[in-house]
Amino acid sequence: MAVRRKRSPARSKVAREFVSEVDDLLERMRADLADLGDQRVRGELVPDLVNRLFRSAHTLKGVAGMFGFQGIGALSHRLEDILDDLRMGRLDPGACALDLLDEAVAVLAVEVDLVGREAATPEGSEELRNLMQRIESALHGDAAAGCVPEPLAVEASLLRALTEYEEHRLRESLRGGRALYVVEASFDLLAFEEGLAELSESSRALGEIISTLPAPGDTPESQICFSLIVASELDAESFERRLDLPAARVRMVQAGATLATGSAHPPDAADELGKDAAAAGRAAFGEGGEADEEPAAGDGEAAPAGESDASEDTPARPADDLESLKSISETVRVDIRKLDELMNLVGELVIQRGTIGAIAEQLLGEPRVARLARELAKAHKALERKLQELQAGVLEVRMVPMRQVFEKLSRVVRRLRREVGKEVRLEIHGGDTELDKLIVEELADPLMHLVRNAFDHALEPPDERVAAGKPAEGTIRLEAYQRGNHVVIEVSDDGRGIDLEVVRAQAVARGLLAPETLLTPKQTLDLILLPGFSTRDAITETSGRGVGMDVVRENVTALGGLVHVESTPGSGTTICLTLPITLAIIQALVVGVGDQRFAIPLTSVLETLLVDPVEILRSEGRELLNLRGEPLALRRLHVEFGLPAPAENVRQAVVVVGLGDVRAGLLVERLEGQQDAVLKPIQGPVRSVHGIAGATELGDRGTVLVVDVAALVEDAGRRREAA
Amino acid sequence: MQHILIVEDSPTMRSLVVSALEELGDAVRISEAASGFEALRALPRDQYDLIVTDINMPDINGLELVSFVRRNAAYRAIPLLIISTEGSERDRTRGLELGADAYLVKPFEPETLRSAARELLAKTREG
Amino acid sequence: MTSGNPAAWEDLARAAVGRIGGAAEDETAVELRELLVIWLDEDPYALPIERVREIVRLRPITPVPHVPAAVRGVISLRGEIVQVLDLRCRLDLPVVPAALDRRRHRIVVMSGEDGQLAGVLVDRVSEVLRTPAAATRSPDARESDAVCALVPHGERFVSLFDVDRLLDLGRRTDAGAAS
Repeated sequence: MAVRRKRSPARSKVAREFVSEVDDLLERMRADLADLGDQRVRGELVPDLVNRLFRSAHTLKGVAGMFGFQGIGALSHRLEDILDDLRMGRLDPGACALDLLDEAVAVLAVEVDLVGREAATPEGSEELRNLMQRIESALHGDAAAGCVPEPLAVEASLLRALTEYEEHRLRESLRGGRALYVVEASFDLLAFEEGLAELSESSRALGEIISTLPAPGDTPESQICFSLIVASELDAESFERRLDLPAARVRMVQAGATLATGSAHPPDAADELGKDAAAAGRAAFGEGGEADEEPAAGDGEAAPAGESDASEDTPARPADDLESLKSISETVRVDIRKLDELMNLVGELVIQRGTIGAIAEQLLGEPRVARLARELAKAHKALERKLQELQAGVLEVRMVPMRQVFEKLSRVVRRLRREVGKEVRLEIHGGDTELDKLIVEELADPLMHLVRNAFDHALEPPDERVAAGKPAEGTIRLEAYQRGNHVVIEVSDDGRGIDLEVVRAQAVARGLLAPETLLTPKQTLDLILLPGFSTRDAITETSGRGVGMDVVRENVTALGGLVHVESTPGSGTTICLTLPITLAIIQALVVGVGDQRFAIPLTSVLETLLVDPVEILRSEGRELLNLRGEPLALRRLHVEFGLPAPAENVRQAVVVVGLGDVRAGLLVERLEGQQDAVLKPIQGPVRSVHGIAGATELGDRGTVLVVDVAALVEDAGRRREAA
Repeated sequence: MQHILIVEDSPTMRSLVVSALEELGDAVRISEAASGFEALRALPRDQYDLIVTDINMPDINGLELVSFVRRNAAYRAIPLLIISTEGSERDRTRGLELGADAYLVKPFEPETLRSAARELLAKTREG
Repeated sequence: MTSGNPAAWEDLARAAVGRIGGAAEDETAVELRELLVIWLDEDPYALPIERVREIVRLRPITPVPHVPAAVRGVISLRGEIVQVLDLRCRLDLPVVPAALDRRRHRIVVMSGEDGQLAGVLVDRVSEVLRTPAAATRSPDARESDAVCALVPHGERFVSLFDVDRLLDLGRRTDAGAAS
């Protein structure tokens, strides 16, 4: 039945088009086949899967015919036959049939591959023809008898529009002893979707929808009426009660075989609900250590409407207990690793989406497939929107308020206060500020250390404070707030402040600073962040196990953040941590240097500009750019990463990055656009690479390293000190 | 200008059918519905001179669509062309019983589809 | 088993990994080790298969700055970013600037000490060798620090790697600096 297509010079293009269409189809069939083998309901194949496979085979056959590949068309046809027999119950759904299906799909894939390489013959390979014969004999050997439809006790008007498959499902349902109902409802012709969706959903919860028949409503020009044939194990009374749609009319057209009365309770949705509520009740009260045998549920009055089903026989409880039970059952505790996995999947989807987008773009230029291309582009747009929502949704789930950590810290302060006997007040602000759970967890240790430092070293003993005219009680202040794409966390105290002379002397003594170096006060303060620096030689019990400020900085930097110190002698110190809101998915600016690409997290990018080499100024061995009157320190990315120098005298791009108050310009050769990226740690023997925060896979751009902006910006600062 | 509604759940098939019918030229306009559902939505919103529908679709199938169209005074006159697999003789008969005007078996030559469509469109022009 | 059918040996390697994973404890009496034989030019080496997670075809390797020369770069493996070592370079063998061949070259991905993955670029992979643990010999002094034993294989010996040592670049860098 296949159609012969005239050979044309565009043959290879036809082949390409065909292959790209059919690959997807085969992919879906493979997935469905795998599911089919795995999922069985009471030993039977899942009808929806078989039906979907049938439709795929059907489409494949159609497409192959249209493109003139008779061999593939014929095998798809056989495949369709097997699936048709399976879904109609004419073929035993044994392993043999599934194996044949698997094999057929595999052979089809090989054949389609041949088409792609233009090595296919229209009739198909020898292997294909062999398989066809085997299928032929298998089908005829097995040809089952029961093809004659049994007479059905359902009105003919409803049966007339059933497809053969639907009729088969109807018979199967009757054979399984289920009752048949016709559920009818009328809707406004111009706005029936919502109503019908509700009707279908409610019906599906009670059984299988065999058919949905539309008919003109009572006033045909403005109304549409739907008749659903539903097979269900429920008896008429329960069915009607559970359906609970005032607009729907229900009538039973065939009683179920086993359900004479309402006394036998089939497992139904409402019972399941009751079980869940009871389990949640036990969990809720078991957690508190109380053995409460009685499932908690309110009486009809206290319960919100619609919840009364589960509570008919249980004693009444106060309404607020019900509330608390409800709030517990509506919250789910999730392992962060599961969220990571989800995030990874989302990330991979985002990458696949990018690939699809690129293909769509490319296809738009092909006149032969213009319509398909437009359709693909449209679908891609929709996919993009939904993916963004999904991404935002998963990200949102990962976000937790800083309060969790702040509360832990306040417990620590209370304990220290008891143990040390120092009068210290802890102020907390911005506990609602949300951050990625992973970042919050990683922050716990550094914050603990900062608080202990403040408690231990920064706050003076009461007599000293009073002498300085301060209240005897010291104050440690924790504050979190969002600033743009970052969250800032400040740990401040009203203690003695950092003595710059002592810091300087210490740094010189430790060999961290040449004695003659001149430093600004800010540069001097930053010295305390250097490895090997500690303002006190004796480490007291409360200051932790020697975790210095350098470790705090290291931890924060590992999260892509920045540490910043401010201090006024005599009145206190503030340590400022600037952190990205999430680590999981970042928007990245892809830049090119030589033949390599790097991704720069967009959260740190302030702006991009193009510069001529003559615009780059030099001052004290550093390169600068005059950015609207402000000097901007430049770093050449190829120098940072030891790559070959690009050609001189070419316009280059500057990516202005900023973290906290520090800015720098990264000089690159090309800007290649923005892309979503999942930041991944680099696994392997080398544990950390300076200037690289991780890597990401960017679809057809391959694996791309993600620049650690914080490290480069900090380097810029440090180099300034050294200069 | 005449208006054709194509109802087919497989995007591939739909595009093929659309491409084939587009070659009928500027005298026809084509709308697409990806399911029987969408077809029901599309019907009251515009005037159609021909409906081309698949049979095997999720939600509302082609036979149900045919039955609906034939029972509704507002749409009764629209010619219906069913396109479906050669497999089901029964569904084909059913479709014609329910009031479809013609039946094409997939796969078909684009030209076969076009001439069937031309014939049915001529009917509405006359009527 | 020849090297001519890549798909087949990939399956074999995977099957072997599965077998070891499932039955290693019961078979301690026999003490058979399963080793993946990898090649640099005409020289065979071996990796304990329980540390081999996957063998993949050569794919584009993204170079990484500021890393020892033995790290050729990173690849992405189903979303995970994994460093790839150049085995020649790691063993201080003369580096032949031969073009990499996607059909032949393989990256053997191994799990490191703490579950971190690391890949090793090899010229080819040939087979899984089952050998009694007792048959191994101590390595010669001239062997690399990463080789922990010599395993008889036909008429010759295969150098068996200690994966942890192989992946420990610090060790090598020190040794390299000293010599």
